[in-house]
Amino acid sequence: MRHSLLEVWLGLPQSSLEASVDTTRLLDQLESLDHWGYYSSGPTASEPAAWACVALALHGRHMAAERIARWLISIQQPNGAVGITANQRTPTWPTSLTILAWIAIASRDTPESRAKYQESIRRAIRWGLAMRGRVIPKSPNLGHDTTIVGWPWAAETHSWLEPTCFYVFSLRAAGLKTHPRVQEGIRLIVDRLLPGGGCNYGNTQVLGQTLLPHIQPTGLAMMALADASIRDGRVEASLQYLSHTIQKDLASSRAIPTASLCFGLLGLTAHRRRPPAADKWLQAACEQVQRQSPSTYKLALLALAAKENELLSELYQF
Amino acid sequence: MSAHSQQGDRLREETNRSKGLSRRAILTAGGVSAVGLTGLGLARQAWLPTAETFIAKGQRYDRPLVQTIREGLRCCNVQPTWFRGKRVLLKPNLVEPTRLCPHMTTHPAIILAAAEVFRGWGASVGVGEAPAHVRDTEMALIESGVGEALREGDLSFADLNYEQVASRRNRGCRSTLKEIYFPQSVLEADIVVSLPKMKTHHWVGMTCSMKNFYGVLPGIKYGWPKNVLHHHGIPQTVVDIMATLQPTLAIVDGIDCMEGDGPIMGSLKHMGLIVVGRNLPAVDATVARIMGLEQSRVSYLNLAADWLGPIDERRITQRGERWQAVASPFEILDVEHLRGLRAGPLLS
Repeated sequence: MRHSLLEVWLGLPQSSLEASVDTTRLLDQLESLDHWGYYSSGPTASEPAAWACVALALHGRHMAAERIARWLISIQQPNGAVGITANQRTPTWPTSLTILAWIAIASRDTPESRAKYQESIRRAIRWGLAMRGRVIPKSPNLGHDTTIVGWPWAAETHSWLEPTCFYVFSLRAAGLKTHPRVQEGIRLIVDRLLPGGGCNYGNTQVLGQTLLPHIQPTGLAMMALADASIRDGRVEASLQYLSHTIQKDLASSRAIPTASLCFGLLGLTAHRRRPPAADKWLQAACEQVQRQSPSTYKLALLALAAKENELLSELYQF
Repeated sequence: MSAHSQQGDRLREETNRSKGLSRRAILTAGGVSAVGLTGLGLARQAWLPTAETFIAKGQRYDRPLVQTIREGLRCCNVQPTWFRGKRVLLKPNLVEPTRLCPHMTTHPAIILAAAEVFRGWGASVGVGEAPAHVRDTEMALIESGVGEALREGDLSFADLNYEQVASRRNRGCRSTLKEIYFPQSVLEADIVVSLPKMKTHHWVGMTCSMKNFYGVLPGIKYGWPKNVLHHHGIPQTVVDIMATLQPTLAIVDGIDCMEGDGPIMGSLKHMGLIVVGRNLPAVDATVARIMGLEQSRVSYLNLAADWLGPIDERRITQRGERWQAVASPFEILDVEHLRGLRAGPLLS
């Protein structure tokens, strides 16, 4: 039996690459939910709501996206911030993602309707630009540059990789790529790449020991650095880490960690490195998620990862 | 008052007895202050808390651990009748799991065995964790092997990072945090059982049952890592959480442990131990001694001492094995802030 190069590379029969994601079913399910949580049993929360809004808007489910966008506006505080849930006004790290959600829906709206989001976007951006991670003096105990300002998870704490990625990505989508805060955010993300590629949750080395890479933060970092003209070998090493690990560990796992798979694929897609078997893995993850209680968060990420175009370029239509 | 809440109160009273004595002791001591300093000192000594801890050696993950845990709890005066109809939340340590390093996280066999013990005593048992570093909890469950064990044991899992939260007044007040936010599953549990891994910790020396409770606080509120707590002081916030979260028990996975650059990057050290107790400072102090650390130099144990529980060996009744018989010094990083932790001549 002859095998194509693709089959050999992936270790899969070619027929298995032809699976496609049943996005209609996925989006129908996402659209039907009126509770936007990480889990069906948890509270509606800003992050899953924002990702769901982005996914529905980019897939053309305008009315469903608008419903969520309006809810996010309803919980925006006068200072522009959006808390983690309707009841918990702090911390405000999801503000970045609500910017993304409003941009996604406004970019698909008529110019007249678009205006209703512009004020919310403006106030959220103002809040985001004022939010700064706390710097600490450089220490030989820590491998990263502790003086670079990014974004924290909670006020008055250090800058961390993932909230910085959220803001860099959102502010770039808002057309602020050259803003000094965005540029410094990009610098922070590059600084936090591990020497051999990939990202830990934020630290690189502690007390001389290099930490372990993980798929989700690496995928987010790659999303945020897409088309940022970074000439650093660790970016390529990070992409290779994502390709290798997703294929080797996630795809062969009996249970697929949905968020990691989706962020990993979003990161690769952002650099035009989407694996040929991406849809097959996503469909397997969809089936797994659909067997569980519905999770807005997971369904939204799956719908986003199912898009073959780079996310940021779609949002630039705004 | 329902029978359910009466039992809950009894559980709290029993668990608080060893913790609460020191507070009463202080009031009592205040009352007798006229007697003089000597009298005060004696009175205080008499009223200081005591506790039991149980150590079992020669334990393995592939051997029945249920009997060990059950006997350990009974030896520490834990009564099976307390648990009938109660909600028990098991809190393993899944800080940043990777299949490359299974000795970083609580072994699934410990979780299953603990669940069987409490179920056998009539409790409904769930497992909950808020991994401190990884946002994808599903990934943490897969990498640690705990997800598969939960399915095997038909155990529910609460992702404490993303649940509904509510605040409680900070009863410890060692940090400046006015209140502490807990997830719903923690607040609804009648008892939270710490199932830590016995490990070194590169900032505070060791992590065991008390530090493991960092993982009951929600990342959605405190971040990944829970940097809000770091900024308010690790030792201070460890004891604040401990003081606010009651009642609790500890069952320590001391079989395959971590030494050196713990709690993530350290090396495997096989000890074959299970350590059990109702008073967490007493359990952790015992574990510190086994690891060759001077318990009073572990900052959060020092803060908790004689208030949340005893750490002085003379006030901890050892059940099962003597700690001296199983002690084996753990390697700790040769860094300035850890150098003072090593106990003097370890074993005479």
